[in-house]
Amino acid sequence: MAQIAEPRRIAGLRRPADRRTVVGVGGTLVALALVVSVGDPGRIAWVRTFFVIFGSLLIQALPFVLLGALAAALVEVFVPIGVFEKLGDFPRPLQLPAAALAGLAFPICECGSVPVARRLMQRGLMPSAAVTFMLAAPVLNPVVIASTFVAFRGRTTLWTMVGGRFLLGMLVAIAVGWVIGNRSKDDLLKPNPEEVDEHLLELGRPEARWRRFFVHLGNDFLFMGRYLLLGATIAAAIQTFLPTSLLTGLAERQVISILAMMALAAALSLCSESDAFVAASFVQFGPSAMLGFLVFGPMVDLKLVSLYAGTFRRGFARTVVLVAAAATFVGALWVGVAFG
Amino acid sequence: MSDAVVARTGTAVVAESRPRRRWSPGGLAGALVLASWAGLFWFLWISGREAFYLSTRTDWVVPIAAVLLTAATVGRLASARVVAPKPLAARELWIMGLMVVPVVLVLFAPVTTLGTFSAGKRAGFSGVGFAAPAGDIGSGELTLIDVAAAETSPEGERALAKRAGENVSFVGFVSIRDDTPADEFLLARYVVTCCVADATIAEVRVVNVTPGQFANEDWVQVTGTIFPIGREVIVDASDIAQVDRPDRPYLTP
Repeated sequence: MAQIAEPRRIAGLRRPADRRTVVGVGGTLVALALVVSVGDPGRIAWVRTFFVIFGSLLIQALPFVLLGALAAALVEVFVPIGVFEKLGDFPRPLQLPAAALAGLAFPICECGSVPVARRLMQRGLMPSAAVTFMLAAPVLNPVVIASTFVAFRGRTTLWTMVGGRFLLGMLVAIAVGWVIGNRSKDDLLKPNPEEVDEHLLELGRPEARWRRFFVHLGNDFLFMGRYLLLGATIAAAIQTFLPTSLLTGLAERQVISILAMMALAAALSLCSESDAFVAASFVQFGPSAMLGFLVFGPMVDLKLVSLYAGTFRRGFARTVVLVAAAATFVGALWVGVAFG
Repeated sequence: MSDAVVARTGTAVVAESRPRRRWSPGGLAGALVLASWAGLFWFLWISGREAFYLSTRTDWVVPIAAVLLTAATVGRLASARVVAPKPLAARELWIMGLMVVPVVLVLFAPVTTLGTFSAGKRAGFSGVGFAAPAGDIGSGELTLIDVAAAETSPEGERALAKRAGENVSFVGFVSIRDDTPADEFLLARYVVTCCVADATIAEVRVVNVTPGQFANEDWVQVTGTIFPIGREVIVDASDIAQVDRPDRPYLTP
């Protein structure tokens, strides 16, 4: 009896899946396959547009989530915990800039940086440094810098955009890390019930590393994947119905144009490696508004907020959104005043 | 007698050090989700369908994801036998089922592309960094990307203006808006840098069209004379032929 009760306690007293659940899930998927192949809902223009954008967001982002989960699993299983404790010995004023610059060595976009940051926190890295890294990596990595260069090549604002994105991205990430301050990982991270590792139940017997690696890889991918799915659904719906021309009328006033481009970046949920090309297409907007788009988007967008909400405790996403928005806005405004 | 005791003792020792493993429901379900996504990426790669979602700049993620997801599936399956499996919550199984929904949609829905519905909602393509330098636009074959990019820089506009009266040939889809005259249409093509979510649109106005001959979203090849007028480019069509949708419907700058 005790043997039955124990696993249920670990599973959080939720109703366990039985044969009926399996049939229900399988039947729903088969029914969906029949509906989309026979009914062809793609005949309806907006449904078709939604399917294409939703599919493309996932097909592009999921491999990066997988790479992030792979890096996170490597960190968890193969990097000795002492490495992260040593990082804590860095002089405090240097920890956040060092964490931001570490993004230079991590050339994957924002979806991949969330699982890595989560795992770094769990392994003992100072949470504020992990958050700084998570926000900076998608903006500072070399692929993003190169794509920004290519997108703005031939324009007089080229170096304002490339340099501004790098520096402002770093400063905003550090600002968020600074606001996170000394909060512990338990204050920030949401417990994941799926992470009650079945392998840990084999008390007294350390599990083989390869097993732990694949368990962590699979868990992280599935955990992040579900929130990516939710974020991609919302982003695709907005992209399907929101005409970008709605915002171009706001381009004339600098303050409003920065806010409009930041809002657009959050709504479109583009990959940081491609967003510069979209920003470059808004020729009506000045460099400050484009910087707002390029710095804020990789830190806060609909799919990321969904990932943050799933990974971190309540309030974290709000803190990131507010601090990143304020810091980006002020920085972009300053660039607008200084460089026109 | 003595041997038998030793054998039993030995068995008992082995049994104690190697506890019996059973399949973990969560591990199995997770492996199934990973396998479905691995299958999708293999399908996209083998069928070439990734061209309907990604640009040529980013389609390398598809084979990499296929291989990595397959490895992750095999690894998750191999590690799914545990000593003390915990039951999988019904809610968790439904969530895992939900994660397979996009796989079902991509595999079973007829293949489609962005069409006229999005044409008015997308920003125009601006790729001065990609287009041929203004000096080069002055000679050689003009592409729809060159034309669209030239429209967004004064140097490009000037270089393109010098090509007025030359013959061009573009492939794209027909886009007819409410205010489009009966003997005209817009020839459009989406330009995708990473994935379709970042699509911008390149358009030219085609005139001298037989009214009613083409409908929205027909794919056509337009041959004619180009007349750049400021930021608008007009093609006076001498021949318009209906063509199949290209294998790569989106342009990559």
